Amino acid sequence: MEKNDLLSRIIAEVLSEMGGSVPASAVEDVVKASMGASAPAASRVVSSAAADIDIREDITSKECKAVPTLDEPADMDALLRMKSKTPARIGVGRAGGRMKTKTLLTLRADHAAARDAVFMDVDPALLEKMGLFTVQTMCTDKNQFLTRPDLGRRFSDETIREIQSKCVKNPDVQIYASDGLSSTAIKANLENILPAIMDGLKRKGLSVGTPFYVRFGRVGTEDAISEALGCKVVCVLIGERPGLATAESMSAYIAYKATVGMPEARRTVVSNIHSGGIAAVEAGAYIADMIEKIYKAQKSGVELQNG
Amino acid sequence: MKEILSVGIDIGTSTTQVIFSRLSVENTSGYFTVPKISIVGKDIIYKGEIHRTPLRTRTLIDGEAVRDIVSAEFQKAGFTPSQTETGAVIITGESARKENSEEVLRYLSDFAGEFVVSTAGPDIESVVAGKGSGAAAYSEENGVAVVNLDIGGGTTNAVIFDDGEAVAKGCLDIGGRLVTVTPDGKLDYISESASLVAQSVGVTLRPGDAARREDLARLCDGYAAVLEQFLGIAEPTPLLSRLKTPGSSDFVLHPKLRAVCFSGGVADFIYGKQDDPFRFGDIGVFLGEAIVRSRICSALRRIGAAETIRATVVGAGTYTTSVSGSTIDYTDGLFPLKNIPVMRLNAEEQRACFGGDSAALAEKFRWFLSQNDCRNAVVAMDGEKDPSYVSVQRLAKAISGALDPVLPAGEPIMVVLRHDMAKVLGRQIRDAVSDKRPVISVDSILVQENDYIDMGRPLMDGMVIPVVVKTLIFG
Repeated sequence: MEKNDLLSRIIAEVLSEMGGSVPASAVEDVVKASMGASAPAASRVVSSAAADIDIREDITSKECKAVPTLDEPADMDALLRMKSKTPARIGVGRAGGRMKTKTLLTLRADHAAARDAVFMDVDPALLEKMGLFTVQTMCTDKNQFLTRPDLGRRFSDETIREIQSKCVKNPDVQIYASDGLSSTAIKANLENILPAIMDGLKRKGLSVGTPFYVRFGRVGTEDAISEALGCKVVCVLIGERPGLATAESMSAYIAYKATVGMPEARRTVVSNIHSGGIAAVEAGAYIADMIEKIYKAQKSGVELQNG
Repeated sequence: MKEILSVGIDIGTSTTQVIFSRLSVENTSGYFTVPKISIVGKDIIYKGEIHRTPLRTRTLIDGEAVRDIVSAEFQKAGFTPSQTETGAVIITGESARKENSEEVLRYLSDFAGEFVVSTAGPDIESVVAGKGSGAAAYSEENGVAVVNLDIGGGTTNAVIFDDGEAVAKGCLDIGGRLVTVTPDGKLDYISESASLVAQSVGVTLRPGDAARREDLARLCDGYAAVLEQFLGIAEPTPLLSRLKTPGSSDFVLHPKLRAVCFSGGVADFIYGKQDDPFRFGDIGVFLGEAIVRSRICSALRRIGAAETIRATVVGAGTYTTSVSGSTIDYTDGLFPLKNIPVMRLNAEEQRACFGGDSAALAEKFRWFLSQNDCRNAVVAMDGEKDPSYVSVQRLAKAISGALDPVLPAGEPIMVVLRHDMAKVLGRQIRDAVSDKRPVISVDSILVQENDYIDMGRPLMDGMVIPVVVKTLIFG
């Protein structure tokens, strides 16, 4: 009954957040109802809330979110269509003036996925499989990474020497990956986007440096790496701050002859790379074109946009 | 922003019309994401007069006279044929027969700018009219299924749009000029369709007899009853199948049909009133009034039409062109390409290709070319929303492995996908053929088996190409 206990805890917590203290019997009834048992004594509000919940389903899944929880919609078909066009939580209905229990639980589950994306590390097996070595910024742990953005942009002298010793020097283009604020984004996209960019650049005749992985990294690391390796164009593939719609979004920040302290406006960004945005492989082909354009124009960011 | 001048020419059973529209193409995505170029504006900048279609006989079009009409409209609008970049000539209704299309094409070829296409057939006419009337847009905006009935002189073209997509097409021999009346009030022409319906409602119509209002009203009530059957509001009778236009698709009723929109000349008598029913010397007014009386307008929500008599020509001039996805890949210097047949892969065939199997594709492609007696064809498939890099590589090898040995030297490998993955696939195919053969790979285009596709010169720094998908070609 481990699942039962977990559900009890979650429901008690949710109900108490919704309206103060809750008698244990009410929680029990909700659990019973949600597990498929009968719950004759449950109060009407609680039992109707629980009727929407099935412990076996993944409430954060696309399939689950596609089902409207609005009671008696005037046009179910139209609602389903609207829902298919947006990840926003529409057609969820309400319980009095508040969210339904299922909506609240889904929000919390999505939030948990977002937190996981931030706090988890990228699986070393993935990096090993892709042949990427790992270096770390000045941050020593996740908490420091989150609270000290300045350290997340810098490397120790020792790390810089390691990067220089393991990488090809002065390539046309240096690409690397970094966790940023979503390790999940790396896990979801890196394997498909990195080879697409690398192959794309090779067929354009540009030399590409040795790719690697930066742990606890922010976008600004590319300035230090560009200086250390003497590349003309630098590109970091980095996890974006997750939202409640997706935790898998990745961006590419590209700059021409990046230097530490340069204005942010010199970066060109390609964002929204995930299965619900632009597919990683297609983004890779586009980024290869963009890098070539920056290489030829010898400028990036706003300067490139303004011609 | 880039503007494209588009021309629409509709040569129907009773009327011939020309319009010009300006399509605005723009990048609608922000600077921080991959570009998304789409047609953001469709402005009709010139609406020509509604001309009676010049005929040599009752069914044969006078191509020379049509050319004079079109030429005069170009002059009035102030455009030359070389300025038009896209558009369509549509021959519709009873005029859409082979002799006519050949005749018209012969005389209009000078006006068909580089990228003007010619389409015909009841199915495409239905869809084009439904887009021009605004029914398609209404369906998309409101998320409902809408039927558009384009009631012209000889035929009623029907289309159901569900969420903006045409899901059913059909055509009936019901129209305003199936009976004509002389200026002195005598019945003149009585079509076969009208005789059938007259018989069913117990009315006798003979050429030369006086045209009696009550007879024509009853005849048109008969027509309206057939339309009710057609839309599933009444039980079908054998008459329904006898009025189905030869060559038109079977109209598959939509279970959630909610609204009806009318276009074509008769629509003006549904949405508005005409005091003198004999003013046009036909039964158009009677038919409109009969439809207002019928259960069609009570069973379904009647929505207003943006265009009535001009719906088809507006649809032809404004809605036939779309743009490809904004991340695509192609070899320079191949466009424009016209009338390329589409070979569509089903889900199973696509899966085999993604798995790297080229044998089945090669066989199908070879068979398709010989069946259609053509040198090349577009391979169309849905693709995948978020494919892995290795699967794209396998797909590219399968496609190049199948097509490269079959195609004559210099012919491009052409792929059209639904999902956004054309750029990466195009690159991989180029690699697979070592750049020895041109490649075109575009996405965000929906095509069906037996469609044909036109691809125009690239726009917006070469990021997109304009595309016209058509279901029928002639010439």
